[in-house]
Amino acid sequence: MSNAYDFPGGIYPPERKQRSNRSALTEAPLPSRVILTLQQHSGQAATPCVAPGDTVKVGSVIAKREGMISSDLHASISGMVSEVNATQISIEGDGQDEWLRLPPLAWQYVEPHALLERLNDSGIVGLGGAGFPTHIKARVVERHAINTLVINAAECEPYITVDDLTLRHHANEVLEGAQIIAKLCGAQHIIIGIEDNKPEAIEALKHALSNSQPISIELKVIATRYPSGGERQLIKRLLNLNVPSGGLPADVGVLCHNPGTLLAILHAVRDGQPLVSRVVTLTGEAISQPGNRWVRLGTSVRELLEQAGLNTPELHQVIQGGPMMGTPLLTLDAPVTKLTNCLIAATIEELPPPPAESPCIRCGECESVCPVALLPQQLHWYARAQDDAKLERYHLFDCIECGACSYVCPSHIPLVVDYREAKSRLRLQRIETAKAEHAKHRFEFRQARLAREEAEKQARKEARQAQQRRPSNTIAASSEKVDLRGLRIAHAAAKASVKKAEKTLARVAQEDPKQSLDDFEMQLATAQENLKAAELQLAQAREQQSSEESS
Amino acid sequence: MSMMRASGVKDAMTATSVPPTASLMRWVIAATLPGIATMSYFFGLGVISNVVIAAVFGVALEAAVLWLRKRPIRVTLNDSSALLTGVLLGASLPPASPWWLIGVGMIAAIVVAKQLYGGLGHNPFNPAMVGYALLLVSFPTYMTLWAPPQALIPNGLWAQIAGTLPTAQLDSLSGATPLDAFKHKGEAVLASEFWATNPLPDGTLSAWRWVALAWLAGGVLLLVKRVISWHIPIAMLGSVLLLATLFYLSDPSHFASPLFHLLTGATLFGAFFIATDPVSAATSQRGKLIYGAGIGALIIIIRTVGGYPDAVAFAVLLMNLCVPLLDLYSVPRPTGHPNTSSGERP
Repeated sequence: MSNAYDFPGGIYPPERKQRSNRSALTEAPLPSRVILTLQQHSGQAATPCVAPGDTVKVGSVIAKREGMISSDLHASISGMVSEVNATQISIEGDGQDEWLRLPPLAWQYVEPHALLERLNDSGIVGLGGAGFPTHIKARVVERHAINTLVINAAECEPYITVDDLTLRHHANEVLEGAQIIAKLCGAQHIIIGIEDNKPEAIEALKHALSNSQPISIELKVIATRYPSGGERQLIKRLLNLNVPSGGLPADVGVLCHNPGTLLAILHAVRDGQPLVSRVVTLTGEAISQPGNRWVRLGTSVRELLEQAGLNTPELHQVIQGGPMMGTPLLTLDAPVTKLTNCLIAATIEELPPPPAESPCIRCGECESVCPVALLPQQLHWYARAQDDAKLERYHLFDCIECGACSYVCPSHIPLVVDYREAKSRLRLQRIETAKAEHAKHRFEFRQARLAREEAEKQARKEARQAQQRRPSNTIAASSEKVDLRGLRIAHAAAKASVKKAEKTLARVAQEDPKQSLDDFEMQLATAQENLKAAELQLAQAREQQSSEESS
Repeated sequence: MSMMRASGVKDAMTATSVPPTASLMRWVIAATLPGIATMSYFFGLGVISNVVIAAVFGVALEAAVLWLRKRPIRVTLNDSSALLTGVLLGASLPPASPWWLIGVGMIAAIVVAKQLYGGLGHNPFNPAMVGYALLLVSFPTYMTLWAPPQALIPNGLWAQIAGTLPTAQLDSLSGATPLDAFKHKGEAVLASEFWATNPLPDGTLSAWRWVALAWLAGGVLLLVKRVISWHIPIAMLGSVLLLATLFYLSDPSHFASPLFHLLTGATLFGAFFIATDPVSAATSQRGKLIYGAGIGALIIIIRTVGGYPDAVAFAVLLMNLCVPLLDLYSVPRPTGHPNTSSGERP
């Protein structure tokens, strides 16, 4: 395409999108029972706030976010909570489909904090696959000026047609959702990046763009090539900007959102409807009615596939996500989550097991397709040898796990599997080395909590004394002079360190979604305890001072 | 896990992707056929006997070592790499080499250079060239016995292959390769004078040129089929031409012309079939360029200043030695890394 720049490498796998993009987007039947897992987003699992026997409506909060990087969870059908355990909540439906919506917001007029609060309350997370909580992502403006919002509609993985169908049916609403985020983040431009294999979606977007847009939106159609839907790859291709290694798109003034997420944002803001359903591509040769459906979260995969005409004897495996980056489902009883964008019910002829691996002959094919310009053949060698120093120096953590290298490997080596294993081994090592640090942070947290409790006790005591003093109207002259200024400074410092801890946590969580966040959440909690204590002390000191002055 | 399916997609749609390792090897073998056929046409069936004997030795030795190492034999032989090593070494030897000579070369190639280092993918040196270099150093008489162009079945062919031909008769068969003749023309003889004496038997030079062009044809096939990448052959031929031109321009009366270097000896064969062995070559694209250029430079330096008339084997082996260093210092800068040297030095 004329106005597109380029990233290195890339491959052209068979697309196989026709199987699911020929029928219209429809609603899946209302499930009679749903299972909502507590972890359907990056960060920490949500904490249940319902008990078995509670009745819920569609949109009732059933689990609250835990820590900063986490997300609320809502009931996706109305009925009764039947089971709550450590990982999931089950709801038996009453078939009524009664809703509990939040009040609609006119996004053009409300304050940013109200919008952020709405995103938080609606449990919106990125629906493209990573599941990063949207309200945290939106707070990026506190640290970075955002210039451009990119709507990532490239959808480069084979089979998946979620964005395609979402845009064909809801182009106007997706663009309105983009306007909300652009306003919230102060972006001056919006760019839609879409591959040229989705002509109907492009047509729908062009039509929608003929309506006036408050913030200008540009449609950029790019040639189809995997993995142009990778955030960094798309930004390079649309804007010719390189997101720094270990950095975020925000570092170059860009924010990326998936069309499905933008639609969910609009529903949450305009209609007060929390995230209780999503579009899922049902495809593969083992079902007779492939297509895209609006599915309530928690619906069982088996039920969905059976409704789509599952041919069980033909079924070889079900893959959640695309064939390049997705994962095979171990059981069909797994529920749909916020992260389920595609279910491929594949026959054995369609996606056969790989042939036996043979030795790497260092042909370098992998190098020529790597979209990050890494040396996969060398990483392979060092991953097998567990040479961790070399792995880091050959930039293992820059790997986006797109699978292009494994795809072209003539020796059928599962390269990305090796890299994932190496990465998790290295992450574990980092945690080991950080253990002492973590213990220190735990100690600091405890100290902070004790200090806060002490401050609270003190405040209560003072309040009691003040009450006792007032009737008698006698003032005990305070011997020590109140250091109001010092407390104000301490309070400001505590506030700043909360901000800093939040910033670090949000950054770490986005940079490496698989990184363990416990330690960072702990540091944030410590800072918050310190802030509470400082607030109490400050309030108390002010009280004392005003009472001295009034005497 | 997910890569299971990535490969799965690939196998269902092989048209879009690179052939698997075994078929890469078979493509290389197929691409040697024009060269081998042309050589046989000019130098007799001794060329084919070389290739066949070496290939049989290659497969048998590989099977034997795999058996000793308790590794799967059938699956491993199926990758055709031992067969390829045999074909390449066979094609490098003087026509109708005795069977035991080929056997010794293949033991060095398959047993020592390849399997003792761990088999396919683990050998730091090009196996065929290790075999060739060993033979050249150990049996110089046999290795320089390159007959002039001759009939398809020359006299004494079978006895020669069987190793029963008396040494006295061997000498009568021998001729000189053009590189050989030029190398030993003597310091005092000017290039123009040398060629004026008609130093080679009739048709020798043109035979070598035809053979070189046949290797080139095979090489182009490999490039078109994307079996090899262009980096090593282009860098190697480029540096051969550049250095040969520099030498030639500095003193045309003493040094051979660039075209002579390109079209005689093993230059083109080496560029497309030997230097491109991915296992023992540098692996990154930048590394391959340096690696190829290094081989080209060493070829010209050894040919003009060193002691051997042709130098592909030694040039390749010397550059094999440099591969770990090249790999270390030719790491590309991944996208998103600042454009400083720190990002390039692992």
